[in-house]
Amino acid sequence: MVNLIRNENMKLYRRWRTWIMAALMIGAVLIGSFVDWHYDNKDAGADDWKTQITQEKQHWKEMIADPKTEEGSKNYAKDQLAIGEYRLAHDIRPESDTMWSGINGSAQLIMLITLFTVIVAGDSLAGEFSTGTIKLLLIRPASRLKILLSKYISMILFGLLLLIVLFVVSLLTNGLLYHFKQLDLPLVSVDSAGNAIELSMLGNLWKSYMLNGVSTILFVTLAFMISSAFRSSAMAIGISIFALFAGAIIMELTQPYAWSKYMLFANLDLSQYLNGRPYQDGMTMTFSILVLAAYFILFNFVSWFFFTRRDVAA
Amino acid sequence: MNEPIVSLRNVTKRIGRKTIIDNVSFDVPKGEIFGFLGPNGAGKTTTIRMMVGLMSITEGTITIQGKNIAREFEQAIRHVGGIVENPEMYKFLSGYHNLVHYARMVPGVTKDRIREVVELVKLEDRIHDKVKKYSLGMRQRLGVAQALLHRPSLLILDEPTNGLDPAGIRELRDYLRYLTREEGITVIVSSHLLSEMELMCDRVAIMMRGRIIDVKRIGELIGTNDDAQTYLIEASPSELAIAAVREIAGAIAVKPVQNGIEVTTDRDRIPDILAHLIRMEVRIYGVTPLRQSLEDRFLEITGGERVG
Ligand SMILES: Nc1ncnc2c1ncn2[C@@H]1O[C@H](COP(=O)(O)OP(=O)(O)O)[C@@H](O)[C@H]1O
Ligand SMILES: [Mg+2]
Repeated sequence: MVNLIRNENMKLYRRWRTWIMAALMIGAVLIGSFVDWHYDNKDAGADDWKTQITQEKQHWKEMIADPKTEEGSKNYAKDQLAIGEYRLAHDIRPESDTMWSGINGSAQLIMLITLFTVIVAGDSLAGEFSTGTIKLLLIRPASRLKILLSKYISMILFGLLLLIVLFVVSLLTNGLLYHFKQLDLPLVSVDSAGNAIELSMLGNLWKSYMLNGVSTILFVTLAFMISSAFRSSAMAIGISIFALFAGAIIMELTQPYAWSKYMLFANLDLSQYLNGRPYQDGMTMTFSILVLAAYFILFNFVSWFFFTRRDVAA
Repeated sequence: MNEPIVSLRNVTKRIGRKTIIDNVSFDVPKGEIFGFLGPNGAGKTTTIRMMVGLMSITEGTITIQGKNIAREFEQAIRHVGGIVENPEMYKFLSGYHNLVHYARMVPGVTKDRIREVVELVKLEDRIHDKVKKYSLGMRQRLGVAQALLHRPSLLILDEPTNGLDPAGIRELRDYLRYLTREEGITVIVSSHLLSEMELMCDRVAIMMRGRIIDVKRIGELIGTNDDAQTYLIEASPSELAIAAVREIAGAIAVKPVQNGIEVTTDRDRIPDILAHLIRMEVRIYGVTPLRQSLEDRFLEITGGERVG
């Protein structure tokens, strides 16, 4: 099994394509971070943020006092007020204009990781069929299940590698741009009771990486399923990317219907339970995890079913 | 008793309603070079796909060294090296890395073994080039190399002579002979060309429309000396030559061709025919036995049933 994964890795990393993707991602991090840094307010004095937060506090207070404010907005204003007060009391500045703003911003690029991993995954299996290499791959003493599994694992590892590259490059770039000042800045957030709490900035970053990783894994699994069923890279990559981008629109359109909470897209973003409201009332983290697990099992079952049963006539 | 290395028992393959392989049975003993001969579409590749587990078997069983390919795939395929249709390899990898790839899939294939097979197929100079730069012949040889890596006891090559020039074919035949003799390997090759089969095989199964019509030793198939055969006699003037041949009994058929005549007759009659032609002052430039085409042979064996 280890050897099979090594083979898949060899086929992955001895191709220009793979490294171009990695380079594109590094480029995107660099550009994003530079832009973020460039538009920083560099004239701000070290304590200017205190004045700003004091002003903002006033604004939140007015919102809370206003009877026309909706319940949701009111809660949000209360949270912000609690955070602002905590910052002033403990002398913890916000992330903006520090290295963390660029790093947290770069976390958006996880979308790019999903995109690249889906492209590679769609080609990993279906590509072997279209080039005919699948024949020599399957006439070895390794079961088809193991071959499928090794490809799957190597894709997950590729996604993880891109994630680590993203982390390291964004940390280094922003660190260097800001001379690693505020490296130990904590994140201030509120707990469920509305009390301000301090969290580790790094811990929070990885948490959001991992939550987004869940969606990457599901898209990779989807790409594998389509590869296995249709044996066409174009179809696997096309459909998965379409799903990736159309997901938000589909969610928008189907929100009025109660059944839409069972859709894959509605449950992919687990961070909806950490900040803000879920897609539909009554959805919980546990619900989403169960739905995602069901899709995960279904996709994998379909991949396995087609890959291990169908004749190879390529 | 010598167990056959490969044994097919009543193997049938149906796809949809179409029966592609129909009740095929044969055994191949150790050390033999066994040929699969048949026109395109006869079912050679399909049979081979079933033998290596790429396709499921609708009915019947295939065993390799006593292991059922469908039920004990991993144990059975361990003994098999093969090429199915074209030897498609990873073009973006070097020949060497392709071999490393396949070597990793079977326990016990060392770097030395890789070097050994590379030498055997004479690719030492180009093995570190990317496969996309290889000629078809080189790919074919790399294909043979990957098939031999794990010292299989059965080598299955589907149309291995595709893309090889006559020298390449001779070379292939030589190392197939070497492998059967020195390493006791059993070989199954397929081809649609009788002339190639004749060069390589000990025994040939003739396949048509998914059925095995006949299994013959190669000598029986080509025909013995006293079989009627067609000869090209380069001669002029051809009208005179035809007239002369017609005078002589024993010529079954004669017809004019571009640079002489074609005569179908027993081999024994050739000296007499030539002597008579010379007597009649026909100028003779050469005599060549024309090989019967596979098509002709099929027509004969199948009683005139058209191929394809
Ligand atoms: N996947 C398939 N579906 C339907 N028919 C097939 C399939 N594969 C092969 N055939 C048919 O089976 C016959 C045998 O094909 P094949 O085994 O490739 O012949 P050969 O290798 O002798 O040229 C052909 O008539 C071909 O059209
Ligand atoms: Mg064929």
